[in-house]
Amino acid sequence: MDWLEQELRSALARKEPPPGFADEVAGELAGGARTVVAWPSRVTGRWLAAAAAIILIIGGGVGYRRHRGIEAKRQVMQAFAIAGGKLNHLQEHLKEVSQ
Amino acid sequence: MKVVRILTLAGGFGALLFGQQFKFDFDRLAAKASDTVDVSLSGSLLQLGARFLDGSDPDEAKVKKMIAGIEGIYVRHFEFKQDGVWTQPDLESVRSQLKAPDWMRLVGWKSVEDGESAEVFLRLENAKMTGVAILATEPREFTVVNIVGPIDLDALAQLGGHFGVPKLKPDKGGKKK
Amino acid sequence: MTASVLEPPAQTAVEFAGLMKQHQAMVFSVAYHYLHSRDLAQEVAQEVFLSLHRNLASIQSPAHAGFWLRKVAVQRSIDEGRRRLRRPQVALDDVAEPAVAAAASSGDPMLGETLRKLIATLAEAPRMVMILRYQEDLDPVEISEVLEMPLATVKSHLQRSLALLREKLARRGLGER
Repeated sequence: MDWLEQELRSALARKEPPPGFADEVAGELAGGARTVVAWPSRVTGRWLAAAAAIILIIGGGVGYRRHRGIEAKRQVMQAFAIAGGKLNHLQEHLKEVSQ
Repeated sequence: MKVVRILTLAGGFGALLFGQQFKFDFDRLAAKASDTVDVSLSGSLLQLGARFLDGSDPDEAKVKKMIAGIEGIYVRHFEFKQDGVWTQPDLESVRSQLKAPDWMRLVGWKSVEDGESAEVFLRLENAKMTGVAILATEPREFTVVNIVGPIDLDALAQLGGHFGVPKLKPDKGGKKK
Repeated sequence: MTASVLEPPAQTAVEFAGLMKQHQAMVFSVAYHYLHSRDLAQEVAQEVFLSLHRNLASIQSPAHAGFWLRKVAVQRSIDEGRRRLRRPQVALDDVAEPAVAAAASSGDPMLGETLRKLIATLAEAPRMVMILRYQEDLDPVEISEVLEMPLATVKSHLQRSLALLREKLARRGLGER
């Protein structure tokens, strides 16, 4: 590990939360019981059957159009990743400057 | 090893305008780049790509929604092995076109210390957004993006920050730490 | 089908307290280094442990608890980071530096703070990769598992981020001494 990595280890060393952290969590937990509701399985089953039928209908063999579509999709995602990444990076820097 | 990924199904090359809102002419940079991404997608090909996006994947669903309003997306992204390959004239060749009356500079940022810069321009017609240009540079990177049509910039920025970080599905598995 | 999650019995409450004491520094630090805000990190860390409490029945072992907490801390931190983009920011000058865990820090404090700030400006994915590597000492395969990210992508983020940090430190005259 070189000097930068050693410095990063030091800079990113774990830090304890402020005093009273555990008490605050305990206080939140004292709020009582919670109820969790799951989706009924018959709804999930019906949607899965419909999705499977659609896949069977449209997935009838790999053709040239499908190949072009998949390639175009890959390019779309890459283009958005680059454009979005640059915007995100710009936003982060503007945020830092405004602080 | 030089990596050149030229993803130009729609047939857009160099300085020619295939639906782009300003010219890109970066053959010189492409020749010197160690990594190039060249995307030109518009019209039916863009919509074809959109149809193959998976609506159940959160990122792809967001992209699918953003694509719905746009007519084209053009990206030229170059990475170099050393500083000083791209020059101010390269940047000015695009920036000068974005001084036209129908373009408005939305925001810009520059760090002299880090040698980085980024600018976003909007194309407006009758007070409506009809395009976006993003210019971003680092000492060893040069990126130009043109999106033709209106797009949610906030949504795009949010998406851009986390490609590759999937949703959490905590499950089984012990770890040593 | 419905299920109700009731208060765990006393012995489980003791186990929960033990897990929290064992892992609170890890959870808080992931959030703090990602968000660079002590208050937000505290909120996120509390949410993570409340979530652990709700899901205690599905935790299979102490090792599993650690793995689970790390994954949830990562995801909650990223979620909070995205929410924060829409909220007014707390001035960093007003945020006191949290206490450092014993015997963990030996580096230059100014360089350390610079590195933490630079890490905070990275995009989401590389930022979290760097935190998992240098705070949690995970290797790329383990990081790939936690983030469910391809190994090659993890390695790429590490390589590019280190190169970027080196360049930025060099420009600030804070390179290797």
